[in-house]
Amino acid sequence: MAADKEFIRLLKEHQKIIYKVCNLYMQSHADREDLFQEITLQAWKAYGNFRGDSKFSTWLYRVALNTAITFFRKEKKTTHIYTTDELPDIAGSGYDPIEDQTKAMYAAIGDLSKVDKAIVMLYLEDYSYSEISDLVGITANNVAVKMNRIKIKLKEETKKYLATA
Amino acid sequence: MELDELKILLNQKLETDHLLRSEKDLADLLSQKAQSIYAKIKRSLWFEIISSFIIVIAFGYIGFTSKYQSINIYFSFFTALFIPFILIFFYLLNKTNKINQSNKPIKENMQNLVDLMEEFMKRYFQFTMALIPICFTFSFALGYNEKDPIPAIDHAFEDYNITKGFLIGFTIGYLVALTVGVFYFTKWYLKKLYGNYVQELKKYIAELQEQA
Repeated sequence: MAADKEFIRLLKEHQKIIYKVCNLYMQSHADREDLFQEITLQAWKAYGNFRGDSKFSTWLYRVALNTAITFFRKEKKTTHIYTTDELPDIAGSGYDPIEDQTKAMYAAIGDLSKVDKAIVMLYLEDYSYSEISDLVGITANNVAVKMNRIKIKLKEETKKYLATA
Repeated sequence: MELDELKILLNQKLETDHLLRSEKDLADLLSQKAQSIYAKIKRSLWFEIISSFIIVIAFGYIGFTSKYQSINIYFSFFTALFIPFILIFFYLLNKTNKINQSNKPIKENMQNLVDLMEEFMKRYFQFTMALIPICFTFSFALGYNEKDPIPAIDHAFEDYNITKGFLIGFTIGYLVALTVGVFYFTKWYLKKLYGNYVQELKKYIAELQEQA
């Protein structure tokens, strides 16, 4: 079918969005694979309602974050604390203060709640407060307040990670 | 360092640690089983639909094949009662699909599903509790007016020498025990099938609404 092909083509083009969401929400490779599959499925089911009012990437973010937040895993009662060793090293070996800061910040983001992670994800993608507000469904003012609080929290948590590293 | 200063590096990190999938891999994923809260609720609704179908068939069979008129009427009545129930479950399934696949904001989608499921659970519970006195009165009335004697019941009265007082006491005790049992069972059942997921969604909604 043409819709299948079109959807798969768009998904292939934008699959990095799903990977980013999976990396942010899940720690183990297996869980990331499961979430990837779930988001792909949900996106396919919802694709019939996509009318092109917004960009496909924005629509996919909405589906991906909605799915990631509501992804139900009964056995996962505790929040995972990311360790800086688990994170991919993009700068290579050797001491790099920026790299350490990034790793610590990444770990701190990993400790945020599901809802806060969604807001940070969109913020990192340079969505405005108003666009985040439209996607998530809370007021732009609330997004700003939350983002402010998240930034302070991340700063404190990053310091803690760096102190223990 | 602050979040804004690390934006580019963080985005790079989030994009790493994966292999890009081919179009064939993506097409294969479309036929897999879902695990989201929406999918779990839909699975619960399918469970109820299948259970209702089995009940309709079983009750219908008893209702049409029993040689006792009271049993015919009783089971036929409940067969007829379960058919609209199946339609309600299909309606809910359709609504859940629509909510899940809508392009509305994340919070609105979750709130719509919570509102729908809470209303459904409330009505489900009220209906189940209301059925107890209805079933009891109905079965007594039918049993009292039964033309043909039912040997199993008649023998029980003769064999165990059941008095009228004992029968009334037993009936009241049975009714109370059944009401208490159904009350707690329905609460547990609804929580297990829908309530836990609704609670989870409410937690996210509360977090979204929360102001710093």
